[in-house]
Amino acid sequence: MKDSSPARTLVRLSLWSVLPSALLVLAIWWVSDPSIEEALVRFVNAMLTSFTLISFMLLVVLFTYGDARKRPLAPIVGMFLLVSISVGLTLFFLSQGDFLMEANASVRAQYLSNIIRFGTTVAAASVSLVVVGGTLLASLLNTPPKVIRFEEE
Amino acid sequence: MQAFVFFWLAGLLLVLGTLLAFFSKQKAPRQVGFAAALVGFLSLLATPWTLSFSPSSAFGHLLGSVLGPSVLLAVGFYQIAFSGHVPVGRLSKQDRVLGVAMVVVGVVWFEAMHWWTLTPTYPSDVNPYWLIFWPTMLLFGFATATGAYAFVGVAGDNRLREQRLMMVVSVFFLALMVLGATSDGPHVDRERFITELLLAASDLFGVLVGAAAAVLLFFLVVMLYERQQPEPATLPPPTNEQLDQASAVVAHHLGGGEEE
Repeated sequence: MKDSSPARTLVRLSLWSVLPSALLVLAIWWVSDPSIEEALVRFVNAMLTSFTLISFMLLVVLFTYGDARKRPLAPIVGMFLLVSISVGLTLFFLSQGDFLMEANASVRAQYLSNIIRFGTTVAAASVSLVVVGGTLLASLLNTPPKVIRFEEE
Repeated sequence: MQAFVFFWLAGLLLVLGTLLAFFSKQKAPRQVGFAAALVGFLSLLATPWTLSFSPSSAFGHLLGSVLGPSVLLAVGFYQIAFSGHVPVGRLSKQDRVLGVAMVVVGVVWFEAMHWWTLTPTYPSDVNPYWLIFWPTMLLFGFATATGAYAFVGVAGDNRLREQRLMMVVSVFFLALMVLGATSDGPHVDRERFITELLLAASDLFGVLVGAAAAVLLFFLVVMLYERQQPEPATLPPPTNEQLDQASAVVAHHLGGGEEE
């Protein structure tokens, strides 16, 4: 690791990951005529769904990891409460008029549609990771090992 | 009821099975998890036949449509990577050539799904989830490649080749997005692509914010629990007899004179 503070490195990595994509999206936004309201609805729906589903997955992870700690109940109950609250919050926001509703007839249909869209996003992100990670790994493993030559004494 | 069993229960089996298979420490739950994930995945793939009346089956159709090129890419990169300088289990040169061919076919297949007639259509229109999948994949790939470019520069030493490669990959993703936004495909025109790309950005940003909040609260819950735990009991100091025994063991292992 090169000399740099961890915070500065983290900021640098985050900027390199987010900034080019953000600039591209802003440029496309600038030249096109998009609906900001539709994008906002998609953002809020994706955020609520992601929060609920990731909390649920972490609850399962907590349960499977519990073997090492004599399966303590308190954190599992805590995460269960968190999942319940996030489901309740999502349903509450979805039922507040048409704010978060897209082309779905009912709150239930919208909620299920959000979950399927989350699955599609995860699938797409996984394939991109295969391409980027695979290219990087293939290059790293195909680099000849460095040989250190010592001068003859 | 049919949709619940073949789609939602299958999805739950896939998620729970994958988590069990990855995170369980015992062999039996891991095998059960793997089997459950496989059954769930196959059931999702079969939804165009088992749930043809439901709009959710379009997701199963999308999974089936992208399975081929995705597997080709994953196996291809595996073949290329492990035919390189790995100390154990190195694959042959033919495996590397086969891997390169699989990656090329996988990429061309994906391209043909946007630019040629292979676009997933279900039942007669373009699959709505494909319209989400393709821009999301390009945008996330671009973000990951630029992030990997910086990461390789920070973490590696003299990794210029990898940095250049990541730059090429990110330019490739960028070029595909710019092409999609400026030229009409046979099934998806440029206006539709632009709209879906912007919505994909909203989706990705929302998913990242939601996931970050969930992970943060998860750490908070675990930290609060750990802080409430009583301090572990302090052991009494070792007796002289135990110290002598430890010294004898250390001396036995440090000697080494008999072996020379």
